[in-house]
Amino acid sequence: MSRDKKKKRPRLAREGFVGRLHYFTERALLNIRQNVLVNLITVGTISLAFLILSLFLLIYVNLERVTETWSERVQVTVYFDRELTSGEVASFSAKIRAVGGVSGIDYISRDEAMRRFAERLKGQEKLLQDVSPETLPSSLEIRLKRHMRESQAIGGFVARLKAVPGIGEVQYGEEWVERFSDFMAVVRFAGLLLGGFLVLAVVFIVANTIKLTIYSRKDELELMGLVGATRLFIKVPFLIEGILQGVVGAALALLFLLAAYALFLHNADFLLSFSQAAAGLVFLPPSQCALLLGGGALLGFLGSLTSLKRFITL
Amino acid sequence: MIELHNVSLAYQHDTPALNNVTLSIAKGEFALVTGVSGAGKSTLLKLIYAALRPTGGQVVVDGLNITGLPVSQIPRLRRKIGVVFQDFKLLPARTVLDNVALTLEVLGWGKHDINRKVYHILKQVGLEHKIKSTPLRLSGGEQQRVAMARALVNDPRIILADEPTGNLDEASKEKVLEILKEASIRGSTVVVATHDRRLMGDWCKRMIVLEKGAVVENANVA
Repeated sequence: MSRDKKKKRPRLAREGFVGRLHYFTERALLNIRQNVLVNLITVGTISLAFLILSLFLLIYVNLERVTETWSERVQVTVYFDRELTSGEVASFSAKIRAVGGVSGIDYISRDEAMRRFAERLKGQEKLLQDVSPETLPSSLEIRLKRHMRESQAIGGFVARLKAVPGIGEVQYGEEWVERFSDFMAVVRFAGLLLGGFLVLAVVFIVANTIKLTIYSRKDELELMGLVGATRLFIKVPFLIEGILQGVVGAALALLFLLAAYALFLHNADFLLSFSQAAAGLVFLPPSQCALLLGGGALLGFLGSLTSLKRFITL
Repeated sequence: MIELHNVSLAYQHDTPALNNVTLSIAKGEFALVTGVSGAGKSTLLKLIYAALRPTGGQVVVDGLNITGLPVSQIPRLRRKIGVVFQDFKLLPARTVLDNVALTLEVLGWGKHDINRKVYHILKQVGLEHKIKSTPLRLSGGEQQRVAMARALVNDPRIILADEPTGNLDEASKEKVLEILKEASIRGSTVVVATHDRRLMGDWCKRMIVLEKGAVVENANVA
């Protein structure tokens, strides 16, 4: 009988890790070509889900940027009832910097204070008739690093500042800072909540879309098991396919977003007209784009893995 | 080649699909398993290729007791067995070549060897000219011959056919049976499950009749 004779061993296509990876990738690409419509629908659905998520991220990133601009207005002012010499300014600046969390210090002389006051009262110069620079205090305006601009941090900073010898009156717009901190807390909470829901929705949509794709090919899975394919042999091309679907879906979403951004969002002053500093939206930073692509790959992989578990009976 | 010792299989809350079946099919034998629908023919075949596990008794295939075979070992068993179904189970999006090649891809064969072997087997079943067609462009008989080529392409020791002629006209039935007969002559053990006793030809020497999950006739036909 022919099968009992020693046969010439056929050349194997999947020898070594590289050989196997090459075979499985080729198989996955072939599967995509042979199931174009199903793959298009899957990638389209994933892409839409990621578009919503990336649009939310874009808004959140820009909102953070606006609040960053606003928070730059948070500054602590130390008043002096006399003009400081340049030596005193340097000495106080060093002591203040030693408190920590300071990003910059400006000395506002009495003349500068008068000039600002006059500028603010433009058109009502009569009010300035009896005011001379000597009636105004000189001051040191302290700008703080980002992490020091919140209500609690700034309170601690001011307490430490007041302990510095020679510093008396300190003001920092306590009420405004508190309101700003509350606002930021709300923004972050809402962002986290909405972002969390969106991520859950994306996970749900991607996982189920991939599950449907795999369900539509359950006969293929069954057949491969019948002809003696191992679990790994059946799974790997589907996993590669899932990763590709996830990455391509996320990449398409980013491309759509980039196109929308280039067409009209980048100069959308009207959207942020409440902030003079914001001249338009910025696009997602590369790190977040990479995160979205990585998320696509991971979701594609996990979506395929969990679905395959259900349909492979081996 | 195939031995069943007091094999029973009961689905939950149901009457047993197989009840204390003992039989043996020798290497190279052509056996017909027959009986009415629900007699347990398909269940018997599924036990042989380990798609089902017996709830009692032992199943030995090619010298290997597969009763408690670990799941990871099932692919090795199935590479020795070619299975043919009534509904062909062809992948509609793949060409005839790709459908038949699947069996060899699983074994890790290279593209060149696969193409040569697939062409050879398609020539044997008379479908080499359809190598680039997709199954939907073929007639029922042609589709079944493609499914048989897929089952035969790696020269399996055992061929299991579950109602292989169920959906076919008389001419196609003849061709399918001819292919199975040739496989048997070349040394494969062939087990055909069918409700149609008329398939019993002079080349078929063994008939096993099932009724309500039990063997009621197990005869060598002279």
